[in-house]
Amino acid sequence: MHFKRRDFIKASALASTSMLVPNFLQAFSTTQTPASRSGKILIVVQLSGGNDGLNTVVPYDNDIYYRSRPRLGIPKQEVLKLNGDQGLNLAMQSLKDLYDEGLLSIVNSVGYPNPDRSHFRSMDIWHTASDSDQYLQTGWLGRYLDHACHHCQQPYHALEIDDSLSQAMKGAERNGFAMSNPQQLNRTANNRFLKAVAQHSHDHDHEEVAYLYKTMIDSQSLAQYLFEQSKVYQSKENYPNTPFGRDLKQIAELITADTATQVYYVSLTGFDTHANQQNIQNRLLQQYADGMKALVKDLKRNDLLKDTLIMTFSEFGRRVQQNASNGTDHGTANNLFLIGEQLQKPGFFNAAPDLSKLDNGDLIFQVDFRNIYATILDRWLDSNAPKVLRKNFDRLNLV
Amino acid sequence: MTSIQHLYWRAGFGLSPAEWLMRKDWSIDQAIDQLFAEATNLSPVPLPGRLVRGRLNQLSCEEREALRDQQRQQLIQVNADWVRRMANPQPSALLERMTLFWHGHFACRSRGGHLAAQQINTIQQHALGNFRDLLLGIARDPAMIRYLNNQQNRKEQPNENFARELMELFTLGRGQYTEADIKAAARAFTGWSSNLQGGFVFRRVWHDYGQKTFFVKTGNWDGEDIIDMILEKPAAAEFITRKIYRYFVHPKVDEPRVQLLAKAFYQSNYDIAFLMRTIFSGDWFYSPENQGRKIKAPVELAVGMIKQLGLEFEQDIALLFLQRALGQQLFNPPNVAGWPGGKNWIDNASLMLRLNLAQSILAATQFDFRTKADLEDRQNNGQGRRLSAKANITALHQWLSSMPIQQQWTSLATYLLPTAPSVSTQLMDKYTSAKNPEERIVQMAIRLMSLPEYQLC
Repeated sequence: MHFKRRDFIKASALASTSMLVPNFLQAFSTTQTPASRSGKILIVVQLSGGNDGLNTVVPYDNDIYYRSRPRLGIPKQEVLKLNGDQGLNLAMQSLKDLYDEGLLSIVNSVGYPNPDRSHFRSMDIWHTASDSDQYLQTGWLGRYLDHACHHCQQPYHALEIDDSLSQAMKGAERNGFAMSNPQQLNRTANNRFLKAVAQHSHDHDHEEVAYLYKTMIDSQSLAQYLFEQSKVYQSKENYPNTPFGRDLKQIAELITADTATQVYYVSLTGFDTHANQQNIQNRLLQQYADGMKALVKDLKRNDLLKDTLIMTFSEFGRRVQQNASNGTDHGTANNLFLIGEQLQKPGFFNAAPDLSKLDNGDLIFQVDFRNIYATILDRWLDSNAPKVLRKNFDRLNLV
Repeated sequence: MTSIQHLYWRAGFGLSPAEWLMRKDWSIDQAIDQLFAEATNLSPVPLPGRLVRGRLNQLSCEEREALRDQQRQQLIQVNADWVRRMANPQPSALLERMTLFWHGHFACRSRGGHLAAQQINTIQQHALGNFRDLLLGIARDPAMIRYLNNQQNRKEQPNENFARELMELFTLGRGQYTEADIKAAARAFTGWSSNLQGGFVFRRVWHDYGQKTFFVKTGNWDGEDIIDMILEKPAAAEFITRKIYRYFVHPKVDEPRVQLLAKAFYQSNYDIAFLMRTIFSGDWFYSPENQGRKIKAPVELAVGMIKQLGLEFEQDIALLFLQRALGQQLFNPPNVAGWPGGKNWIDNASLMLRLNLAQSILAATQFDFRTKADLEDRQNNGQGRRLSAKANITALHQWLSSMPIQQQWTSLATYLLPTAPSVSTQLMDKYTSAKNPEERIVQMAIRLMSLPEYQLC
């Protein structure tokens, strides 16, 4: 039955976008107007600030963990046990539900060689997929749009739910699209004056002026398209009543409306817990877990989860040893979550981090995050990983 | 755009209305002489008080948090002061422009105002001087030393970060050196460190006095020798000249032209003022293909607006918020490679923000824009800020008030835009409803500043 609704609205969204298109520029003509999605969907969830992975997936059978964290260690009886030695933070019952349904893969000890403990640099490395002594000015999803994504080089194929665009979403030739609120975006992009400017401006032989006009007109049509798409389906699901929860709901609504977007990007911030970590982190983790569960339920209802993969990462984990302020300092390797119906290895992908073998008090990475990117690019997005990542990384048995 | 406007946009940050009226009929030579004459007067930025007196690890958690907060406040102050100085340079627009260029070239993230201000002063001192002195100043700059981990570069365990970027990003570019050269250079810079007072210090005990082989020459090299050997390579002059060309002339490089300029730069023994004067004096610099081709960087956009409209922001933080929202925060480049610039500034979100910016500032409306959270900041900051600023349009009003409306439009468009607007003044006039003459001028300026053309310089 959802087909009918989607088809109907699709038609009306198309009609209203094409009316906007000025005739002098073929910037975004009806032939290019996104009709519907082809291919799978990736949702990237970024936990900003460096989430403490050891208090997220707790090695509750490990004495070193409790010795290193005399006050911050989560007591065994409070852990939501997943297997014989690892369990989830008590705040993540919703994520445990997904685990129990076989919809979650946990990859432990994900990182990269010569880890950088600066938030900014480490985030930069995750966004650009560079080596730690290499500087790239384009992001991995931007490069995916640039040259390795079939018939999907338009900005709307990668959508960030935010007011500005992350480095990860910027390519050399193409960028993703940023939008936090479709209504507001449509209002600013299509205010009366700018709309009139788009409709009445004449042709340009000045290359840079033409480029700016084209970008403006593309943005206006897309703002309108996404605004129409956002009205197609109103989710009744119970998302956390926070900006992050609303962002996830937005994503579910757009996916259900059969929006042509293939990659969604969303962030939850505040994980830099140097002091009094417990309450801060638990609140964030609960928000995350409840959000994921709601999103999964929402997508499942319309049988769209089978086409969706959710990847959650943070720029680094934290030190094994807690600090004197009941917090943790910047560390290295961390766990990464994949959520979906098409997982090759639901549950734990690999063993718990080895706390007896540390590098200067920090976890040693076992899985390079670029192996995960490569896997997702090739096996999920049907792209060309070596071209996007500029190197060959082995695919893993994940999806 | 006239040649004078072109020169002032590239060698400075454009012209205020008063400057425009006074200088629009100047000859290029006269303007260049004036620009370089002004630039001989340095005006160092006052350093905010140094905050750390003891060892950081002796402070309690609360004390450390308070310290970080004070550092942030000082940095905001230094940042906002610099933006205002760029908009109203005393004494030299060219010097501020060069300082901003080198700040992007020697990209460095600073955590506190003291080190940031100190670094601007070092850059300003050599911005138009000799490139070797500038490079040496940067190699000894405590903010850079910390950013690129030269604090940790010691004989027993060399840290290669600074040595690598010195060659890859600051002087030569990839392909001009080997990994062994990086290792040797790192050893030569061991012990180049900074002290608790935020000054440069050379720590003998950390320095490696052994023999090193760099660019096939063996000796007991130290950091200065390395810098000299790098600059002996004409490739260094080419690398710098190409970057300067991209920034000051055109994002697309005219390679034969760059080769000629680089040769002259090398022969001048890296005299930056000589190179810049050569560029600004060339006829080719003023050709239509080189005018209005640069997408304004966020700081250029903001500084230009402040200059043209005499804006005064109520709060310093608004200036910082603007930079963050537009994607270029001074003292906070994305990484040591600096801001990529050009089309990289533009995506749907940043363009719409730019096109609505004049309106948002001048209408003092609630600014609904959430910036990316600072990764170190626990609060979700930056939501719904007020960007209100007062405009001072006395000069614009005096200039335009006696003109008929059509002439007002063309005069203002010539002043604000690099090319003729793509839409008719009739159309823009339809969206300009104010009856009060001063308000009308503000509205006209908002319309022109909302056009995509305004994003270019």
